[in-house]
Amino acid sequence: MTNSMNNVDYISNLVESNFKLIEKEIVNKNQVSYIIDKESVHSLLTFLKTNGWIQLSYLSAIDWPKENKFELVYIVFNWEMPVYIQVRAMLDRNNPVMPSILPIFPGCKYYERETHEFFGIKFPGNPDHEKQLILEEWDEIPPLRKDFDPRAYSDKKFAKREYTEDFVNLNGQESKQIIRKQRKTKIMNVRKGGKK
Amino acid sequence: MKEMKLFLGPQHPGMHGNAAVHMYVEGDMIVKAFLLPGMLHRGFEKGMERHTWVNNIGLIPRVCVVEPDINEMAFAQGVEMLLGMEIPERAHYIRMIILELARLSTHLMAYGGLGSPTGLYTLMYHAHTDRNTILNIFEKITGHRVYHMYIVPGGVRKDLPVGIEKDIHAFLDDLENRYEEYRDLGINNPTILARITNTIELPAEVVWELGVTGIGMRSAVNKEYDLRKVIPYARYDKIDFTVPIADYSDAKSRVDCKLQEVVQSINIIRQCLVKMPEGEVKLPLGRGQSMRWTVPKGHVYSVVESSRGEFGYYMVSDGGLNPYRVGVRGASYPQGLLGIEKYLPGTRIDDAALWVDTMGVCSPEIDR
Repeated sequence: MTNSMNNVDYISNLVESNFKLIEKEIVNKNQVSYIIDKESVHSLLTFLKTNGWIQLSYLSAIDWPKENKFELVYIVFNWEMPVYIQVRAMLDRNNPVMPSILPIFPGCKYYERETHEFFGIKFPGNPDHEKQLILEEWDEIPPLRKDFDPRAYSDKKFAKREYTEDFVNLNGQESKQIIRKQRKTKIMNVRKGGKK
Repeated sequence: MKEMKLFLGPQHPGMHGNAAVHMYVEGDMIVKAFLLPGMLHRGFEKGMERHTWVNNIGLIPRVCVVEPDINEMAFAQGVEMLLGMEIPERAHYIRMIILELARLSTHLMAYGGLGSPTGLYTLMYHAHTDRNTILNIFEKITGHRVYHMYIVPGGVRKDLPVGIEKDIHAFLDDLENRYEEYRDLGINNPTILARITNTIELPAEVVWELGVTGIGMRSAVNKEYDLRKVIPYARYDKIDFTVPIADYSDAKSRVDCKLQEVVQSINIIRQCLVKMPEGEVKLPLGRGQSMRWTVPKGHVYSVVESSRGEFGYYMVSDGGLNPYRVGVRGASYPQGLLGIEKYLPGTRIDDAALWVDTMGVCSPEIDR
């Protein structure tokens, strides 16, 4: 564990001499992010693992509907040379398939299963990746995609209940519901930048 | 012998939170086991995309129930990384006090939780009384007992109340005086010792395969792999403390590490109270109305050492009012899902609850 800035430079030099990166981004002295094409992810992760980045910290995806892409993120960590490395790759959104990294990092098993559940990305090579994990009997598009609207889903799925004011206001005061409604419109006005 | 299906939890004293361990047993040996999560899924990751940066402060502590402060810290740290801002010095020390108090309360709860699978409830009552004292201190500092919403992006919500040092010192002295009693109740007690010695070992080779961090890893690999030491956040680099380690990870050595960390946390809080400078505790993230603050574009991974291991928030901003994506890496993800599937087979039924307790499996952060 020498100077940490050297650690980022050290691994960046090593990676850049062996791989063709699309983009490199240094977040801070303990974190760096590499964007690489989909085909090189496995060889880069293997390379990092043989160089000491043996812990898979996180695996997930980001949805970019405008570019019609999914972005996969792998985060690996080396305890001896403390640098977090984000490895990011773009997938086609219409047919999202990414071979599993199970042979490299066995710990990815449940992360991939969860990513499949929440984004619909397929990971061939991971035997269980299509089993349900958290969402029970889900019947819609995967929920963390940007085009999934929870409000519309709950309106469709659950019956609408109207809450009426069925009490008599004795003192002629404004009812709490009305005060609450006024307060809400006021807040929404402030949030949208004042009355127009 | 015929194979039988058994559920440990969600209603079981040895199970922490709303998850179940689904076991196939032959006699009392586990043949196959896996965790059934999903009973506590509240859609936080989607919820965070639909709220503003400041609104989210109220949402994130709910990700992990027993130790909510690490969530606030990871989120606040992530926003500060995206903004590239430096927060006031005093805020760092207040954050450390809050985080260490939270660590104390979680360790006490986990140590007390050891009483329920082993059947000695005295330990649990003692530990919960002390946790209650910590919650009282939290109430005085933040106004809330469990979900504090105190560590916010830019510092902490408000300064410490006058005279809180007395309460904290009184509690720490009291806990330190009764520390040996705690050990006698739990880890030196022959009944508990017989249950926790040489049960559910975690060999050092499989730590990397699973991705386990925290006490589970440190007690197996015998190295000071603690994020507070390796990548010091807040002002942990200005505090003297040691990280308890062990070279053989069974339930006993993990509990022992936990108890040693209690001593270290007491030590850290005392040092923070002495070294804490005067001054500001909070900076605004931007100009104008807080609901309209934006955060620059970027992808960051912000990590905190929780009582169960590395706890991280992966945060993506597209420069808008809301976070574009927030991914939560629960610290107990590896040991809770893959660990139970791979390393419970071959142990006995009653050891399953010990794994859940000593490795620190927190079901709310697995489900989110």
